[in-house]
Amino acid sequence: MPQAATLALKGLSKQYTVKDQSLAVLQNIDLTVNPGEFVSIVGSSGCGKSTLLRLIIGLELEHEGEILLDGTPITGTSLERGIVFQEHRLLPWLTVEQNVGLGLINAPITEAQKRRAVQEHIELVGLVGFEKALPYQLSGGMAQRVSIARALVNKPEILLLDEPFGALDALTRAHLQQELHRIWRREGITMILVTHDVEEAVFLGDKVVVMEPRPGRIRRIVPVDLPHPRDRAAYRFASVKEDVLREFGGEAPEDRLVAEEVQFPRDVRLSPNISFAL
Amino acid sequence: MNALASFTLGLPARLPKALRGWVLPLLLLLLWWAAIRFSWTDSKLLVSVGQVWDRAVEQTTSGALREGLQASLWRDLVGFAIGACVGLLFGAALGFSRLLENMVGPTFHTVKQISLFAWVPLISVWFGLGDSAKVAFLSLAAFFPVALNTFEGIRSVPREFIEVAQVFNLNRRQWLTKVVLPAASPSIFTGLHLGLIYAWLATLGAEYLLVAGKGIGNTMIDGRENFWMDLVVFGMIVVGAVGFTLNWIAGVVETRLLAWRGRAVAQY
Amino acid sequence: MIIEASLPESGRLRSAARPARRAPLRLRIAPLAPGLKRLLLSWPFPLAILALWALAAHYEWIAPQVLPAPGVVAHTFADLARSGELFDNLKISLLRVLAGFAAGCAGGLVLGVAMGLSPVFKDYVYPLFRAVSQVPVLGWLPLLMLLLGIDETLKVVLIAKAALVPIAMNTYKGLENVPAQYVEVAKVFGLTRRQLLWKVVFPAALAPIWNGIRYGLTHAWLALVVVELLASSEGLGFMIVYGRQLFQLDLVLAAVVMVGIVGYLMDKGLALIETRLLRWRRVGF
Repeated sequence: MPQAATLALKGLSKQYTVKDQSLAVLQNIDLTVNPGEFVSIVGSSGCGKSTLLRLIIGLELEHEGEILLDGTPITGTSLERGIVFQEHRLLPWLTVEQNVGLGLINAPITEAQKRRAVQEHIELVGLVGFEKALPYQLSGGMAQRVSIARALVNKPEILLLDEPFGALDALTRAHLQQELHRIWRREGITMILVTHDVEEAVFLGDKVVVMEPRPGRIRRIVPVDLPHPRDRAAYRFASVKEDVLREFGGEAPEDRLVAEEVQFPRDVRLSPNISFAL
Repeated sequence: MNALASFTLGLPARLPKALRGWVLPLLLLLLWWAAIRFSWTDSKLLVSVGQVWDRAVEQTTSGALREGLQASLWRDLVGFAIGACVGLLFGAALGFSRLLENMVGPTFHTVKQISLFAWVPLISVWFGLGDSAKVAFLSLAAFFPVALNTFEGIRSVPREFIEVAQVFNLNRRQWLTKVVLPAASPSIFTGLHLGLIYAWLATLGAEYLLVAGKGIGNTMIDGRENFWMDLVVFGMIVVGAVGFTLNWIAGVVETRLLAWRGRAVAQY
Repeated sequence: MIIEASLPESGRLRSAARPARRAPLRLRIAPLAPGLKRLLLSWPFPLAILALWALAAHYEWIAPQVLPAPGVVAHTFADLARSGELFDNLKISLLRVLAGFAAGCAGGLVLGVAMGLSPVFKDYVYPLFRAVSQVPVLGWLPLLMLLLGIDETLKVVLIAKAALVPIAMNTYKGLENVPAQYVEVAKVFGLTRRQLLWKVVFPAALAPIWNGIRYGLTHAWLALVVVELLASSEGLGFMIVYGRQLFQLDLVLAAVVMVGIVGYLMDKGLALIETRLLRWRRVGF
């Protein structure tokens, strides 16, 4: 079991410059995540919650304030922090086990150990029998399980989840939430889950961080003092959920016109740029 | 955006972006100039920029350029028009009818494998050496890409769109004009664009191979036969410019008409 | 083919795994019947054309100098094949294409990879590359004939140029369009630069690069025929011109058929490799 670390965000701010205008995305975020804790972050679109994860994972480096892992600032991506993206981002040319193995590619262990670790994690997410399947053969929920296995296989101290179940249907989502909870309990990893689903946040989190947009900042941190396994139908569950939802009061969800999607390059047709190639 | 922007290959990155593209052409020009200035070779093939320029002026003022271009472009456009129309009809017919596709498709796909220019000697026997042979050849050159892309465009209309049309009870004409043709139009445009390119290429080829009459290709062949390097270089520049212009026009039309795709084709 | 896991996605999906294994089998059996149908349907049309052609020749609706009977063409083809003339010329043509294509392919890949991976290199080279590729192969021909003469060098250079442009362009575009998302995955898992290239970037760009190679070969073959028609004393293209000059249309047609066969085989070969190479993709071409 990894020796989990404490993550501390101190006065974290981030702005983008668009056409010479600076746009504040995150403002003065203070947050401490204890070892083994499950923190949910909720907020409407545009509150910078995805940016927050990208900063913690180390894909974005420019910011003000501090991001400390056991007192040491983050300087880039590292294997001690894993991430599950909203789109599963499996490499379509690799099989399930090869995709999971990607997490161990440079690990200082033998091939046999790698194979065993991969197999264990495929079992962990319940995909035995699908080792040789290619991503296009998987349903959305299964692909997201592979993505979770890939993020866990190198035993990170912290696992970041960026709306991992956002694109899934309600049944699959509820099921995967239980799975994730089981994995969290078993592995004892610190997890930070970004979501726009309040029920999901309350169901999984030790505490729920409610964020508000423009600029993104923390509105309130709601502790969830409910025993596990949590019963979604219970009165106390509902009241915590109400509590969180109340924080959104009056704030209309924002419509976004342009959706960002992963466009995998298909064949580039012989077209204008290739003109007169003959 | 290029996701791999970190590779520089050790090239000077200090030079402003806008200037970088000029470095190689200027070096080549310098080399050309130096070759003449220091007489590295006494071959008469090495002509100066001035000579090419003089030739350009002479061709332009004497009307030879206009005459040649007019003849070439006229043939090009007539041939393209015929080939594109036939190609559109043929491709559409194949696209809409499975039976026709099964019957004629394999033959079409086999015949299209014959290298385009191999047709020229046959066409010259059937149509002579004059304009009709050239136009026939150009039509053939435009026909294949247009037919193929029209066919593929119609065939690959997503089933979802067809289902939408069914749900809203569109009649046959609406189904065609509102759903199928728009959905297939990007591919059809690619075909037309390619047809334009092939037709221009074939124009040159026809003029080289069927040496009769006037045209920009004939001008270049004349230049080669008389070892007039300046004329050949000038011809190349004209050919490149015409190609560029045709291409540009096609790109603009395509971007305008297919604006709904949200991405200019010309970028791909 | 998408394997649907049975709902709800329970912890153990062994039962759902079975259809995954069975699916390819079904795929192999199913198309047999439609395939047979297609085969039956595809023959009447070319046979009808052939019959019309034979009738036209038999009743001399068209002069035999203009369109010799199919039997004559077949006979000539067989004669040429038996005497070895056909294959000698074919060999010469193929060697030319091979040399030119190999050179163009290597050059195109190097150029395309360099432009795709390094924006700085692209800034320096791309504008000139674009300008050069605006002039079609046939535009370069007179110039190259003056500079290089009309022997093998000309052919190889011209074919190489024809292959290089689409390969370089597709490689460059393919690499440039590799989704940033995948590169981020590589970053998160601490892949080295070499691993990034070989595990992520090149596989992601393989489809467009391969497409470029296909276009490159098609263009190389096209360029070969042109250059042999215009300036050669051997090869399939020369056979066509020679037959045309002697007004032996049977010879011309036999050579044209051979050109078609080679083009067809090359295309099929590449398509076959492609299905192997890009098996992970949902749809073929």
